[in-house]
Amino acid sequence: MTINMDRAPINNVLRKVVRQAHIGLFISTETEEKLSERISLNVTNKSIEQVLKQVLEANGWYYFMDGDVLHVPGNKLPVSIKGSSDSTAVEIVTGKVTDLVGIPVPFATVMIKGTKDGVLTDTNGIFTLRTGKKSGLIVSSIGFETKELTVFGKKPMLVQLTPWVNRLNETVVTGYGIITRRMNTGNVATIKAKDIEKQPVSNLALALQGKVPGLSIQQSTGLSGSNTLVRSQGDNSLKNGNDPLYIIDGVPYPSQLLNTFTSILGGLSRNAPDVATQQPGAGSPLSFINLHDVESIDVLKDADATSIYGSRGSNAVILITTKRGKPGPIKTDVMMQYGIGMVASKVKVLNTPQYVEMRQQAFKNAGWSVPQAVTAENADLTVYSQYRNTDWQKVLLGNRAQYANVNATVYGGTDYVQFLLSLGRREETTVFPGNLADQRTSAHFNMHGISVNKCFQVNFSGIYMMDNNQLISTDLTELAIKLVPNAPEPYGKNHELNWALLPNGNASWKNPLAYLQQPYNNKTANLVASASVSYCLLPGLCLRTNGGYNNLGIKEMLLLPQNSYAPQDREGHPGEAKIANGDISTWIIEPQVEYVDSLGEGTLDVFVGSTLQGNTATRTTIITRGYAAGIPLPNIGAALQSKVSSNSADYKYNALFMRLSYNWHNKYIFNLSARRDGSSRFGPANRFHNFGSVAGAWVFSESSWLKQWPLAMSFGKLKSSYGTTGNDAIGDYQFMNFYQPVSSPLPYQGGIGLEPTSLTNSYLQWEQTRKLSAGLELGFFQDRLLLDVNYYQNRSANQLLNYPIPVATGFPNIMKNIDATVLNAGWELSISFESRTNQDIQWSSRLNLTIPVNKLLAYPGLELSENYNDYVIGQSTNVRRLYRFAGVDTATGLYRVYDQSGNRIAAEFTGRPEDKTSYINLNPVLYGGVSQTFKYKGFELNVLFYFVKQKGGNYALGFLPGTFYGGIGNQPAYILNHWEKRGENKPVQQVNSDVNSLSATTYVNAMASTAAFSDASYVRLKQLLFAWTLPEYWQQKLHMQARLFFEGQNLFTITGYQGLDPETRNTTSLPPLRMFTVGIGLTL
Amino acid sequence: MLAGLVTFYSCEKFLGVDLPVNNINAADVYASDAMAASVATGWYQTMSNQNSAFFNSTGLLATMYTNMGLAADELVYTGTSILSSYYKNNLSATDPAYWSDIYPVIYKINVAIEGLEQSTTLSPAVKQQLLGEAKFMRAFNYSYLVGLYGDVPLVLGTDYRINSRLLRSPVSVVYHQIINDLKEAQNLLSDQYLQGDALTPYTSGAQRVRPTKWAATALLARVYLYTHDYSDADIQASLVINHTGLYRLTALSNVFLKNSREAIWQLQPVGVGINANTGEGRFFILPPTGPDDIHPVYLRRELLNNFEAGDQRKLKWISYVTVNDTTRYYYPAKYKIGAVNTAVKEYPTILRLAELYLVRAEARAQLNNLQGAVADVNIIRGRAGLPGINTLTQSEVLQAVLQERRVELFTEWGHRWFDLVRTGSADVVLGSLKGEYWHTTDQLFPIPGEELAKSPQIQQNAGY
Repeated sequence: MTINMDRAPINNVLRKVVRQAHIGLFISTETEEKLSERISLNVTNKSIEQVLKQVLEANGWYYFMDGDVLHVPGNKLPVSIKGSSDSTAVEIVTGKVTDLVGIPVPFATVMIKGTKDGVLTDTNGIFTLRTGKKSGLIVSSIGFETKELTVFGKKPMLVQLTPWVNRLNETVVTGYGIITRRMNTGNVATIKAKDIEKQPVSNLALALQGKVPGLSIQQSTGLSGSNTLVRSQGDNSLKNGNDPLYIIDGVPYPSQLLNTFTSILGGLSRNAPDVATQQPGAGSPLSFINLHDVESIDVLKDADATSIYGSRGSNAVILITTKRGKPGPIKTDVMMQYGIGMVASKVKVLNTPQYVEMRQQAFKNAGWSVPQAVTAENADLTVYSQYRNTDWQKVLLGNRAQYANVNATVYGGTDYVQFLLSLGRREETTVFPGNLADQRTSAHFNMHGISVNKCFQVNFSGIYMMDNNQLISTDLTELAIKLVPNAPEPYGKNHELNWALLPNGNASWKNPLAYLQQPYNNKTANLVASASVSYCLLPGLCLRTNGGYNNLGIKEMLLLPQNSYAPQDREGHPGEAKIANGDISTWIIEPQVEYVDSLGEGTLDVFVGSTLQGNTATRTTIITRGYAAGIPLPNIGAALQSKVSSNSADYKYNALFMRLSYNWHNKYIFNLSARRDGSSRFGPANRFHNFGSVAGAWVFSESSWLKQWPLAMSFGKLKSSYGTTGNDAIGDYQFMNFYQPVSSPLPYQGGIGLEPTSLTNSYLQWEQTRKLSAGLELGFFQDRLLLDVNYYQNRSANQLLNYPIPVATGFPNIMKNIDATVLNAGWELSISFESRTNQDIQWSSRLNLTIPVNKLLAYPGLELSENYNDYVIGQSTNVRRLYRFAGVDTATGLYRVYDQSGNRIAAEFTGRPEDKTSYINLNPVLYGGVSQTFKYKGFELNVLFYFVKQKGGNYALGFLPGTFYGGIGNQPAYILNHWEKRGENKPVQQVNSDVNSLSATTYVNAMASTAAFSDASYVRLKQLLFAWTLPEYWQQKLHMQARLFFEGQNLFTITGYQGLDPETRNTTSLPPLRMFTVGIGLTL
Repeated sequence: MLAGLVTFYSCEKFLGVDLPVNNINAADVYASDAMAASVATGWYQTMSNQNSAFFNSTGLLATMYTNMGLAADELVYTGTSILSSYYKNNLSATDPAYWSDIYPVIYKINVAIEGLEQSTTLSPAVKQQLLGEAKFMRAFNYSYLVGLYGDVPLVLGTDYRINSRLLRSPVSVVYHQIINDLKEAQNLLSDQYLQGDALTPYTSGAQRVRPTKWAATALLARVYLYTHDYSDADIQASLVINHTGLYRLTALSNVFLKNSREAIWQLQPVGVGINANTGEGRFFILPPTGPDDIHPVYLRRELLNNFEAGDQRKLKWISYVTVNDTTRYYYPAKYKIGAVNTAVKEYPTILRLAELYLVRAEARAQLNNLQGAVADVNIIRGRAGLPGINTLTQSEVLQAVLQERRVELFTEWGHRWFDLVRTGSADVVLGSLKGEYWHTTDQLFPIPGEELAKSPQIQQNAGY
């Protein structure tokens, strides 16, 4: 060999040597980074051995040859292996170094503390050395935490090393690949299993709350299985889907369920579903995945990360990777967790004396005398006891929800085949009265195999969950807040519903417990199966195919027996049973090929793939009506009437995509991705389209000028990306020319007519988002402190909207892509710090913060469109147009609002739309999370705070104070501060019982004014974890690891919000529960 | 991989999807006789459904029986809903309008005409009948549109890009199209009443619920009369009147019954509730407590006073309730069944023979065939138990025909309103009756403002 290099980094020299000698090089990135000292090499006609000696051994690096492959594990050679010079007490110490699962660690360095002496372990992890009787040993190896221990007698030592990965070298799952955080050019956030699995939440998305910058997550109700609103970098689409694309082990997963009979699980508005029902159901598909089965969740946000998903990627892509087995002897993890949940906050409402006084005042203001005769409008004063006082929030929402979760996982395998098998059972009851519970049973299986030459790999994984969610037809929260405090006992003497009948035989109130007799049951079975096979034809050239299948089957049943209705309503509700069978299934096949080679002084990675995907969704409903008395529901054959209907949707998707990455010395990284998409959702004229992105990163800490910088800075990277993505969540079949049955109660001439559904537009296409992103990543103190700042600017255009056209064309609107543009821009900041892990006291701290801006930049034709009242150019897309509030008129005691020219609108008029000149943005304007973890020996304390700055509709004005209808009439305590007499300046108007009075009109105006909206910001202690791990001595003694923990969820909230809960921002759905759980985790 | 690529290039095929089970692809609709017939059935079904719709949601052609009665001098309304704008003739461009109801119907008909004409798989008889029904329905809808609004965009195709730029066509051009459509319909339509398959005639108990050649002829007679083509009006009306095998005047109490011998075209009720009858019955028949939110109109005294003594129609077709023993509210009782869940005995009647006698009478009077005119009028009078009139001057005969139309056709399909407008007597009659509310420009209705904003090439009618 002949090489002449002057002052080049060792790693460069090494590459040259390897290339000349035609041998392989096995080296980790980390080691390669370490080999950065500059050396000069001038050799002529030397053997490879001689050259390596000069390059590596002379500089203190350990290496060995295994056949034709040079291994450089990254250990420094001990200067001497003679051992201790302490002649008084010399011992020969032997030992074995393994990782946590017992795999030997070869070539680990075992040094005697305070000296430069030591040895390396052999290929079986065994070492032998002479040392002093009580001297300390320091055991280190690349990829593991350094461990210090003291020699104690002659006994062979077993040293277990904890894996340590520089956080920059943690893997990040990207679209069709894996990369280290260090080399990533895109904006991707990764959450690992340990941060997910112990939370007693019912939905995967909730485990991400407060942990991912740029991801806003809102829980819609406190019931198990409820919906969540997940938004990445804001709403891009005005009318269509804004949900991220979820992919579980390569299989696309629905973000919305099919339409449901009830909304008790929180249907959140403005989520277009991806099936033809066009109406999202309540609940969330993310409830049907066991948190314990998830290894990591990667949130892909910018164009570099998402454009490879083409027309599906504009609302971010969330990749969910399930757990895999690990090589090693079979182990079993068992986790058991029990707990209770409760409603954390109440709305302060009037008690009976306050209520009665308010009502009497309200009668006076209505000009009515306090009633003697009983009517439906005064039962609270004439029928109900004036002394009875019930805290309905306690009665209806005061129960303790019981929580239990048991999971067992068995895993293990050889270097070549690994498996994992996991079973789980989770139960959560509700805070409502009655025996309602959500019961889930799940299983997970994974098998992974690799051939001896590592060319052939196969992976199979399946998750399955059965969920049986027993609920009722209606959320009781609204009644709990609004029922009057002196309303009667819900049950009579014989435990029958008490309707507190009026003289005319009608019920005087809406008995809340009647809803318990309206059971709603939702049974779901979810299967996600996926497989991948890869084969490497040549070094660097690999073929791979992923395939998968998902089936989400939902059976719903809602029973509405006649007796659950008030007597006067029974005629219209002669007993109903509603049954639905829904099914969403998806299959996908993705053949891929990847080629990696060196090009110039860098590495080129070319990746090409194709996607074939199909979705079908069907839902069949049977609605039966009219059951003879005594026939139990749902004996559907016994119903007098029944109606069967069904709906279905089919979606196909096809794409070809490629990515080209070039990495020059780990310093400059360049990425190009492109995708050509075809989707059955787009019109024939626009069926195919191209998407693409470019991205670059400059790891400036690799530059020599920085390497010598005397700062604690250890890493620095600048990155930027620009590209296009699309949104095809526009609903199926939108462009198609369809006929539908004409709906009428009876047929015509024995037949049903057909009519066209809409004007069709074959030019329909996806909505397009252009994403620009720039980021700076810095590492300090050997990357223990990491700082990541990102700026994003996404412009979504080509919005698919109903465009107004003359009705002479047949329809007042046509679905059309129009040039309405939505801007989402913002800053994402995350800071994380981790102390050294080999110390007794450890601390890690994470902060993430997002400051989003969401703005409608343009909307041609807005004035004429059906959306005129929903949007304002230049404002957020979640804006409310409101009157400016003018306070309470001191003379009349009525609310007043201003018109557009600043005059107060007369009390008898409701304002016009153009008088609503105040705009309130209901999107969060700042959100984030702070997490702190402290560890001392076996103890661990972790807290996570989630904070949001936002506005929301409040409950400060109450609900038409002074009126009473069907048992409803109670008011929040805020309204005690109401106007009573002339000249008073009060925040709440006069109370009035007359719904036809002026005060009702002014109330309506005030509710549409700035007074009804206020700050809904909050800081919530989302999670508190306190854990104790069995000391190592006992672990070894008992041959098991054990961990006891206490976990609390939503423990307290700091907020000035005038309402029930600032997260749900309403008074009609159950707020997120406060949970206390204890658990134990065992590894056997 | 290769397989993937190959599939990709055949992906036009791959991207074909199954249709949703509750929808039918447009191309398939005109491929089968049954489905094509269902398209036409849909028009009648929709009209019938609207007939029984609560009429405060105005703008539905099939509920003209109230709104146009209010706009003219037949009905009284005292509430504050949109009906009051009809009653006071102060409709504004922001009110719900027939315009917005009729054009979508015309679009559906135009789509069907295109689909039927392009279809090669339908049986000729069905295709012919359905094309005839479509042409008839298009003419029927335009005849109301032009009557209410004057010049209107004449939409005959389905391309929204063309249709959204159309100008208003003059009344004469619209009528020309209506007459052409009706002539074609006469040739295409069956002369027998057909069942729902648009092919098979009824063997007995024919339901007169699909348009026939005779419906097209009857409407053509009316349109000729409206366009002053009196001799053609005379000819067409005679064709129907002389077809005595099918059509005969019946006793007054049988006129509006299901399968009435007088009916030329009826709708089969499909409305709210099991076995509902007609919308007219449900909304006109007052409860003992008098007018209320659901039955908000009653008859004007002027109309009652228009009946001659002894007119059986006043007894058989008008009824009243007495409220608080003092106030009598009269209401149209041509349809007698208001309750739901009773056996269906009455069908909403759109075209009937009596009108054709009066069309012919008017046409003959205009043609100076006064004797013929009087004979026709007397046939109608005779059925109502009134003595015949003698031959008078031409203008007196015309006046007699109009008077007869008023008491024969009241609260049916806006006849009175169109009579007042087309004979130029609206200003005189309504001006004195409605006082300050009446403007001569009220004879044409306002085009909805939002439509004007969406189509700047269209001008509003005068006075709005």
